[in-house]
Amino acid sequence: MITLLHLSLLLIAPILFLGIINRVKALWAGRRGAPLLQAAFEIGKLLRKGEVISKTTSFVFRLSPSLQIAAVIFAALLMPLPGRPALLYFPGDFVLFAYALGLAKFMLVAAAMDTGSSFEGMGASREMTFSTIVEPAFFLLLGSLALITGQTSFTAIFALLNYSAGYSVLVKALCSISLFIMLLVEGCRVPVDDPNTHLELTMIHEVMILDYSGPDLAFILYASSLKMVLIATLLANVLIPVSAGVAGGLLLFAGMLTLTAIGVGLVESLIARVRMTHVTQFIFLMTALAVTTFSAVIFFLSGGF
Amino acid sequence: MKLLLIGTVLFFSGGILELFIPRKQSGFVSAAAAALAQFFILPPVFQALTDGSTMSVSLDFSLPIGTAFLRLDPLAAFFCLIISIGGLLASIYSLGYMKMYRDRPYSLSSYYFFLGLLFTAMLLVTVVQNLLLFMIVWEIMSLASYFLVIFEHDKEEVRRAGLYYLIAMQIGAAFLLTAFAWAATLTGSLDFTALAGVLSMPGSASTIIFLLFFAGFGFKAGFLPLHTWLPLAHPAAPTSVSAVMSGVMIKTGIYGILRIILLGGIPHASLAYVIFGIALLTGIFGVMNAIVQHDLKKLLAYHSIENIGIIGIGIGLGMLGMVYRQEGVALCGLLGGLLHVFNHFSFKSLLFYGAGVVYAKTHTREIDKLGGLIHSLPITATLFLVGSLAISGMPLFSGFISEFAIYTGLVRSLAPGGAILNIAVGCGLAGLAFIGVMAVLCFTKVFSICFLGLPRVPHQEKLSEGSALLLAPMVALGILIVCIGLVPLLVLPLLKNVVAQFVPGIVATEWEQMMSLFRRLSLAMAVLAGLIIFFLVLRRLLLTGKPVRIFKTWGCGYQVESSRMSYTASSFAAPFVHLVAPFVPREREVMPPQGLFPQEARYKRHYADFIAYYMIDPLSSLLSRFLGLFTWMQTGRTQQYILYGLVFLVMLLVWIMLMPS
Repeated sequence: MITLLHLSLLLIAPILFLGIINRVKALWAGRRGAPLLQAAFEIGKLLRKGEVISKTTSFVFRLSPSLQIAAVIFAALLMPLPGRPALLYFPGDFVLFAYALGLAKFMLVAAAMDTGSSFEGMGASREMTFSTIVEPAFFLLLGSLALITGQTSFTAIFALLNYSAGYSVLVKALCSISLFIMLLVEGCRVPVDDPNTHLELTMIHEVMILDYSGPDLAFILYASSLKMVLIATLLANVLIPVSAGVAGGLLLFAGMLTLTAIGVGLVESLIARVRMTHVTQFIFLMTALAVTTFSAVIFFLSGGF
Repeated sequence: MKLLLIGTVLFFSGGILELFIPRKQSGFVSAAAAALAQFFILPPVFQALTDGSTMSVSLDFSLPIGTAFLRLDPLAAFFCLIISIGGLLASIYSLGYMKMYRDRPYSLSSYYFFLGLLFTAMLLVTVVQNLLLFMIVWEIMSLASYFLVIFEHDKEEVRRAGLYYLIAMQIGAAFLLTAFAWAATLTGSLDFTALAGVLSMPGSASTIIFLLFFAGFGFKAGFLPLHTWLPLAHPAAPTSVSAVMSGVMIKTGIYGILRIILLGGIPHASLAYVIFGIALLTGIFGVMNAIVQHDLKKLLAYHSIENIGIIGIGIGLGMLGMVYRQEGVALCGLLGGLLHVFNHFSFKSLLFYGAGVVYAKTHTREIDKLGGLIHSLPITATLFLVGSLAISGMPLFSGFISEFAIYTGLVRSLAPGGAILNIAVGCGLAGLAFIGVMAVLCFTKVFSICFLGLPRVPHQEKLSEGSALLLAPMVALGILIVCIGLVPLLVLPLLKNVVAQFVPGIVATEWEQMMSLFRRLSLAMAVLAGLIIFFLVLRRLLLTGKPVRIFKTWGCGYQVESSRMSYTASSFAAPFVHLVAPFVPREREVMPPQGLFPQEARYKRHYADFIAYYMIDPLSSLLSRFLGLFTWMQTGRTQQYILYGLVFLVMLLVWIMLMPS
């Protein structure tokens, strides 16, 4: 029962997550905004439609969206919730988590290149370049958490993430800021990318899916939103104490997701998009934070202070 | 053991017989011999791997060598397995691939002869345990591969690359010879078992000998900064040879390093750190350079360097585990490293074979001139995609399993207190992730530029899929890759006894734990595969009865679509190259348009190898300038050379007479 709740919470969250972000942006701009479930309506509409497929493409283009959504949902199975173990867990599962998301990205990029469009090539090339900076930082962050707790799976790490030691507050703060930056990069939000942009030349994620329509587009929309939710869940796992219990943990988790979505919406309303050539500098912020986190952990564990 | 030797002889005799066979029928005998050899080689190999036994024979030679032992232990058997299967696949693939040389003035019989000789020498390298005999078969291996590299010997650049390769191998051999000679003078024995004593001696001599070995074998494997021959030799050789060199031959360097570690017992901590660090740099450097390359085979050569780095990270981690008595870590590291040796053999051979089909059909290795091949070569493209996903370490494919084992080992070795180890492991984690994601960048680039999109240069003829002889080895490798990716337990038990040689204590509990971890990983892979199938079926169901229109790619309203507008490999890599610009020296050749009616303008750019550009090339030009000082001695007059000999003899005589006896 609780397993079902766990899964459905993770699977419904992407719809609301998008809804909250857009509502926050609308309210900030002085509009009423679309209903919170707008994404569900859109996905439902797309699922009922047919498709237009480019004649340049091959089977890669047609396989890709199904593979992407499968890989991201699979990654969701590896994700624990505060107070709840993941549905699938074993030592080193976070490696599989990162690589499953990597598989989704590989397929997304390959499909974009399959259309032969130079715009989609630009998006693909940018997406991959940014990933090369994010990924090492992500592993360093998880390495820090593994080092603090002495555990090697998501579930065990978050179950043991110690609250008593004074330095853990610092580590958690650094971790959550880097994870939030990762959320903005991987979710293709401002200041890295603008989901509402209307010029193909400046797009990153949106341009890669220009040629998709119908169910395939629905799969991609859902998968990319679920990916954001998964990173937000990581953030919640870092911040919500184990002592909250199962029910409290889930409540806090729902609150935390809402807060994160509001945060993304606020960032999008308040900050302008960074110039394309400067995006990498923004992402290097995450690398710097991750290196700091890891060094801090080593410093404290080897008896500093 | 005798069976193994018969198999080895079969490889050799297949090569010999090819010398007497007319051009048109060439290749069949050596393929048959290679197939027959499997029946002799695989039984003893599997026996050694499954029950962990060591078989040996002794051969009595006359004086300089003396009695030489040939031993087949699990470590040797593991590499024999790769060499033997690699030999069979290469022989079959060559049958199809060398057809395009039939009407050209190259000697096919010598090709098959040297191919057979190469496999014979490689098999012997793994079992020979006598210093002198080992050097002899090692050199035969290098020479046979040299002759294969210069197969298209009428081309200037092929000869240059071959010479570069030969010189690099000879320098490597010089390191090995020094180490062997030093060890032999210390013990007075030529057998490998005597090396164990030398390598575990206290003091700095054992460390220096170890490093000499590492350098010697590192040349073959392609560790930084000894890798510079790889990106030159691989593109020069015929693709079937590149596949063998990259997939199989450079692994003999890894074998040598593992053999030395095995003989030396628990290593010195600093050596473990050195190997771990060099391997990490090798991995990052290899893939970074691969990204900027646009010659398909050169790019794959740099990926070999990357994967040697990953294997080295596993080995280094295994050594660290041995040093710090963490059996679990040593197990993960060695298991990951060894499995990656096998995986790299399978996916890199597959990728090179795929590149060979592309080259045979389009006659170009420039990826910017390819494109859209998936429509004319669908099977090759699919298999190349499988290889690309595997080399990028994507789940469901074999590359992930070995990288996962190394990651697990890295994370397990994190422990409070050991600050230096933790820093090293942190670098390892971030570095391995960096290597992995760069590999994804590189292979999305290669695969999509070569096979997807529109053809960038229109092909004159209609392309057709490669022949069955070309595709059969690729299909076999593709199946192997997917099987290992889904059910790693198919091959992992074979590695148990190899790892047990290094960490004798692990056998019972740790190994079982590890296997249950891989069982769960296998379950997770099944879930992922199930999800993928579910969504594919769902998509099909959703689209039944709906209109699916085939139309143009969205071009922002432009009506004329041109392949010249589509993205190229250079543009795909450009943002990343911009980030790493200081590490990839750029060479440009610009000829701007001139005059009122410009006739010709050119712009050419290529990226050089950082190490070759800043280290090897200046050093070698310095060396040749220094040696240039002695050119006056070489006059070309025989009389003068005889005089030199006489002077030398007289000096020797004087020295002996003056020496107090």
